[in-house]
Amino acid sequence: MPIRRLAPLVVNQIAAGEVVARPASVVKELIENAIDAEAIQITVEIENGGRDLIRVADDGVGIRFDELSLAVATHATSKISDADDLAAIASLGFRGEALASIAAVSRMSVVSRPRDAEGAGRIDIEGDRTIEPRPAPGPPGTTVTVRNLFFNTPARRKFLRSDQTEATRVSETVQHLALGHPQTGFTLTSGARRTIDLPPRQERRLRVLAVLGGELDDELLELDVTQREIGIWGMVGKPAIARGTAKHQQVFLNGRFISDRSITHAIKEAYRGLIDPGRYPTIVLFIQIDPSQVDVNVHPTKAEVRFRNQAAMHGAILSAVRDCLRRADLTPALDLTSVGSPREAPLIIPGPPRAFGSGLAGAPPSASYDSARQFVEYFRRLDPKQKGFVYSEVKEALAEQAPELLIDDDAKPQAAQDVEVLPVIRPVTDVLQIHSSFIVTQDEEGLLIIDQHALHERVMFEQLADAIGKGNLESQRLLMPETVDVDATQIELLADLGPLFVRIGIEAQQIGPASIGINAFSSFLFERGVEPGPFIRDLLDRAAREGVNDDPEAALHEVLDMMACKAAIKSGDKLTAEEITELLKQREKVERSSNCPHGRPTTLHLSIQELERQFGRR
Amino acid sequence: MKVLCERTALVDALNIVGSVVPTRTPTPVLRCLKLTATDGLLVLAATDLQVGIRLGVEQVDVEQPGEALIPADKMTQIVRACDDPTLTFETENHAVHIRGADSHFKVFGYDPSEFPPVPEFGDATVDCEISAGTLQRLIARTLFAAAAEHSRYAINGVLFDRRGKLLRLVATDGRRLALAKGDCLTGEGDCSCIIPSKALKLVAKLVDDPDATVRIAVEENQIRLAVGEGPDAAMLSSTLVEGAFPPFDDVIPKDQDKKVTFDTATLSSAIRRAALLTNEESKGVRLSFENDKLTLSSRAPEMGEATVEIKLDDYQGEPLEIGFNPGFITDALAVIDGGKVTIELKAPNKPGVLRTNGEFTYVIMPVNLQ
Repeated sequence: MPIRRLAPLVVNQIAAGEVVARPASVVKELIENAIDAEAIQITVEIENGGRDLIRVADDGVGIRFDELSLAVATHATSKISDADDLAAIASLGFRGEALASIAAVSRMSVVSRPRDAEGAGRIDIEGDRTIEPRPAPGPPGTTVTVRNLFFNTPARRKFLRSDQTEATRVSETVQHLALGHPQTGFTLTSGARRTIDLPPRQERRLRVLAVLGGELDDELLELDVTQREIGIWGMVGKPAIARGTAKHQQVFLNGRFISDRSITHAIKEAYRGLIDPGRYPTIVLFIQIDPSQVDVNVHPTKAEVRFRNQAAMHGAILSAVRDCLRRADLTPALDLTSVGSPREAPLIIPGPPRAFGSGLAGAPPSASYDSARQFVEYFRRLDPKQKGFVYSEVKEALAEQAPELLIDDDAKPQAAQDVEVLPVIRPVTDVLQIHSSFIVTQDEEGLLIIDQHALHERVMFEQLADAIGKGNLESQRLLMPETVDVDATQIELLADLGPLFVRIGIEAQQIGPASIGINAFSSFLFERGVEPGPFIRDLLDRAAREGVNDDPEAALHEVLDMMACKAAIKSGDKLTAEEITELLKQREKVERSSNCPHGRPTTLHLSIQELERQFGRR
Repeated sequence: MKVLCERTALVDALNIVGSVVPTRTPTPVLRCLKLTATDGLLVLAATDLQVGIRLGVEQVDVEQPGEALIPADKMTQIVRACDDPTLTFETENHAVHIRGADSHFKVFGYDPSEFPPVPEFGDATVDCEISAGTLQRLIARTLFAAAAEHSRYAINGVLFDRRGKLLRLVATDGRRLALAKGDCLTGEGDCSCIIPSKALKLVAKLVDDPDATVRIAVEENQIRLAVGEGPDAAMLSSTLVEGAFPPFDDVIPKDQDKKVTFDTATLSSAIRRAALLTNEESKGVRLSFENDKLTLSSRAPEMGEATVEIKLDDYQGEPLEIGFNPGFITDALAVIDGGKVTIELKAPNKPGVLRTNGEFTYVIMPVNLQ
């Protein structure tokens, strides 16, 4: 077959294949153009998920009448002028192919009026047919209308999902861009419904709350650090609002939404031990770095970037997020109101259920919600006398020791407001172990319910992590090797696990075709009543099932997790008063005591106000 | 049944018999004591279906022989709380009336025939006889080293190993092993079985006269011991632990090339002091042997360090540094009853051996110190 130069339309359609995959990508390209045009308000409209209509209107600088034809041509852009500019890209777009690519697969019209011009100009393109620019009415700024997307590329059209799914993707895209540009106002109208309405010139914190949902305010920690020329600002979600999908984990680099594996990894590391490994934190991070330190010209959609100093970036994110979490009190509050009716979807504007942000409502209930429900179920099963006992005990103690915290009918609300309430620190005196599993006690604000196993596991974990930081764990030798029967794969794993075993004080070797002999075992585990044989068997089973982590530190962490779990007191262990006191003392000492190493909470908090409300006192 | 009982004698008996009564059991009759009054003797019996005990009280006046089955906790509380010198026990159907000078208790019980049989020694074939004092000593020197609730059931008990008149008891928890030897009064052939720790603990309690003779009968899966002679002999029966005890002869090292003798009290005190600065993660105490002195040291991160020195006059061998769990050493020193103890060592990762005049051997595995 002879080689031929492709027709310009085909070239553009191929390019469109990379940039324009679905309505959301059209919206992304057009909004980025609008932002680069210094728009203050961007209005997006879609019909049938964007399949039939996408319209993006801005009030930016506009395109001059005589440049309209050039604007829709390939590799034509106002954003950079030479190769040097590529080295330090400050605008969102720069490739000069968006409009041409979109035009190649749709019926597009551009109406634009520069701010100082008398009237607007309009150009229409449909595949490779262009209707020359002509004067038209229009406000200052640019409006791009895209109809019948993929009308001439049926294969692409077939790949579109349902209108609903495409509309959701458009909505997510607008969210990403809106988060990155709080100074710009955004509206999105899908069909007849306005699903996003964000005013311009919003403070970035308010913008994040407006997008994620204002009710999360108490669950988000603000982060603002600059180190080694990397500026990081963000809203870091407490472990309690972690989710089953990574949707609420959003990272922006110089205002651009990116997905970068090393940053994702740094975030995961920072939350390690606080949330279940299968869940994702809610976190929004904005990173500012010198544009010359990053290459965004990796992929046409620009979601992937390359850092000059990847390790420094990873380190900066990890330490910033970790420190932020460490400083915070992560004890989840019990929210009894969420019982019965799941937390309402955060709506930016009142509207039908599928409004913007409703993704949150559809997400699985968060951990704290689950535990709250369990707690209430438990509480309901208590007989009324017991409930009264708990209530009056707590209240009496409070009246005696911190009356200023007691807000009650008989208290004087006026006086309560006048007193500056300072946290009252006092030794824990009233504790109750229930069903040999939970410890109930009080702090200055209300009731604390502690999962004894989870908390002790956390304590053990910290002790072990601390000890291993100072050298290998102490190892007790055995009189005669303890034999464990294993299979062939597990014997192979033994070699991988060797270095790990040394660190935790275990010495084991193969002593037969299907057996391992343990010669020495951690004296800490012995002391906590953990037997070598069953422990090694469990460890090998787990390693065979889940594989051994390539990262030795991560693998060590997993094994320490397991050790802590086995060494900790169990649910159902009756504790003496001294043991409870000791455990509570440890709670105050141990970093991150609010979550067990698996990320489940160790402690739930029920405020006195909430109790009073539940009992109809207020 | 109607019996007049001396209260203090009853309290003593209840203390021993009561410890067999299981606290958690779905079967109410197992929480009871069986009282059997015969001519001049009141026998208290209890069982948890594994261990059974029968203890006779002679300080009684039996007016009317008979049987009763009443809850152990109530009977014990009543007998302890009263301060009368004597109490009478009288049955009325399945209830028991307990009367003091100014008090009267009616305790509801059960039909005595519902109680599982608690074996008597009867005419069981005697395997061996041993003086109560010797048996008590052997138990004290081994029982502490037995495992508790280990998944290898065999080491949750103590090995009873008799060769002719030589009896050896052996216990281990996998990290240390205690072996005590003593002579029986009679005994022929060999006998080997594993006795549960709970039963041995009770045997030690049953002995109040060290010169008494203990008769031991071993059957297929049961052991019976009778302390003393005659109808009032205390009697304990227990099921045996199944399984194979580890080959203990193999783990007692024979080629130790470093030896030193200590005064038990001196060593015990030094170890206790050196152990003061250890914690859960670093249990070990370091023992540095040199020609003329032993330095014991410990270190706990974020807590501090301890050093204790002992002068040595008879250390044989090269200098050696080895770590041990201090509790393992003091456990053994506590049952040696004073005098001298010899420690034999070889290398930092090889076992240490404690010995006293051939009657007690204690093997202890080291810890790797950092």
